[in-house]
Amino acid sequence: MAAADQNPGVLSSSAHHGNALLVLLAAMTPEQLETVLANLTASFPAEELLIASPDTPPANAHPSLRMITAPANNSSWILTATDFANAYQLAEKNEAHAILMLGPESSSLSASELCALANPVLAATDLAVPCYSLAPHAGLVNSAILYPITRALFASRVRFPLAVDLGLSLRMAKCLSDAARRFTAANQGGTPLWPANEAAVAGFAVEQFDVGPRVQLAGPELNTILPLVTGPLFSDIKAKAAFWQRFRPLPPVSNAIFTPPAPATETPADIMPMLSAFRLAYTNLHEIWSLVLPPNSMLKLKRLAATDAPAFSIADDLWARIVYDFLLAYRLRTINRGHLLGALIPLYLAWVASHFNISASGASSEDHIEAVAAAFEAEKTYMVSRWRWPDRFNP
Amino acid sequence: MQNLFATIIQSASSQASQPLTTGGNASIWSHMADALHQSLERILSLLIAILPGILALLVALAVFALIGTALSALLRFGLTAARFDEHLARRHSSINWAPSTSPTALIARGFFWGCVLLGLIIGISAFDASYATATTLPSSLLSYLSRFVEAAVLFIAGTLIARYLARSVLIGAVNEQLQYARFLSLGVKWLVLVLTAAMVLEHLQIGGNIVGLAFGILFGGIVLTLTLAVGLGSRDLVSRSLESHAEHSGENSAAHPATGIDNSIRHF
Repeated sequence: MAAADQNPGVLSSSAHHGNALLVLLAAMTPEQLETVLANLTASFPAEELLIASPDTPPANAHPSLRMITAPANNSSWILTATDFANAYQLAEKNEAHAILMLGPESSSLSASELCALANPVLAATDLAVPCYSLAPHAGLVNSAILYPITRALFASRVRFPLAVDLGLSLRMAKCLSDAARRFTAANQGGTPLWPANEAAVAGFAVEQFDVGPRVQLAGPELNTILPLVTGPLFSDIKAKAAFWQRFRPLPPVSNAIFTPPAPATETPADIMPMLSAFRLAYTNLHEIWSLVLPPNSMLKLKRLAATDAPAFSIADDLWARIVYDFLLAYRLRTINRGHLLGALIPLYLAWVASHFNISASGASSEDHIEAVAAAFEAEKTYMVSRWRWPDRFNP
Repeated sequence: MQNLFATIIQSASSQASQPLTTGGNASIWSHMADALHQSLERILSLLIAILPGILALLVALAVFALIGTALSALLRFGLTAARFDEHLARRHSSINWAPSTSPTALIARGFFWGCVLLGLIIGISAFDASYATATTLPSSLLSYLSRFVEAAVLFIAGTLIARYLARSVLIGAVNEQLQYARFLSLGVKWLVLVLTAAMVLEHLQIGGNIVGLAFGILFGGIVLTLTLAVGLGSRDLVSRSLESHAEHSGENSAAHPATGIDNSIRHF
């Protein structure tokens, strides 16, 4: 991972006709908007910036900045197809050469971190993604499913595939806009897009930058989040099956190695409610799970349901296979897709409980996430075999 | 039968004037034999009359099934050669097709079943025509048959809806950590099934008012049972939730009131 480059010179040297950088802001409070604008003016020459915001800036706050009104984000906690379509439309209209998309609460990103995201896309990179330092109890859907599956199938080390802050080159924005158009045409503009997957398929250059801790906006509850995120991810994987079925080596880790956040002094989470949710689900959803999971996995889940809380741990390879089996069932429509993603929730809670147990035992939370991602890579052969011959290969 | 009764009455009236003889017995037996013979003749002639109709039904079904198979194979071949699925996927990538329900497979299957349905309609109308000419009964078989088919469709749809709703309720209740999730799901399933059964029987005109009455009693009973079960079962849950709300009023609750899962955990 590259370190944040604090030199704003790249922008000055890339001055072109039109606007060099279009900064697309999410809706935020006037104070937050003021902070973001101050950070931007501290990092970039004002004449090269075009700020698009759904909010009206404070009067006479930054007279040198050119500001236009942008449509409000479709969703407050993820970037959706409509957001990417709007971003490209604005960039094309205003002849911008790169786009910086900043999500809600982006005032917690410093000027240097904004530079780190914007400068590479003004140079040669197509997609600049942030790597946040989140607390061990945060970003769990990302750690359990999104990151490992993106890494295993798309050979991408992007740690936060659904980041709300992004740097996009114009051709990357066009690529995402084309992908978005298919959804907006079908009146599904609220569907999240997967920039890392699109970039991998298009063969675009992707860079990741440490941006440190970031304030997160509270999203909806788990029962809403998991189906909303995993459904579009599974659909995207299905659409790109021809790409990921080929073996591709994982790119090497960048020089600036990602340093996990220092262990936070937060109290360990109570895993008992999650375990009771899993046990209740094992009793009631056994028949539905057995339509999706092979007997071997069901046997392991049976043992897990009988395990005491302190010893509760889901093996990484079992978790990888569970997610892959759900992905396959999604593709084959084994059961209704809404039901399928709903049935995944208790299994995910079991993984979270297991993850907390491992973290509580003294192991690094980040090491465990890396081990899970490695297990997803190792089980990719299982996934490819079952994808190609779903009925023949069912251990 | 009328002849038989007439003969019986005639012989009974003549019994008053004449003594019973062996010749009279023989005449009763011969009349009975005649009546049975005539009845058999009528049934056989009816069967002979509708046999072409049955044969026409079977032939129409077989011929149209064959045509459907040939058309379906031809379409499948043509659409595969024209890469229809790929073109469609390129245009409408947001639509997800499972491999077993690809557009080509769906179109081919649709044509096959369309042909079978056409054959069935033609066959039944031929059968109905031959049946109507052979019998003097006023009601048409076709109308009852169509009613039966509608009832069968209603039954299948009801069963599918019951299964879908039962699963939805089960998964939703489990994710809300309701201990009586299975019971709730079973209740919903049987409510829909009972409703479907009543509708099917009503459609088939079986049972008359009794079905409606029985359905009302059964449906009301199930709803009452569910209400009592949920009410009594969730009493503890509601009281716990209220206690938790009272304890943490004015503060941010640390746990989800229903599931008890720590709110400090950020899933996304």
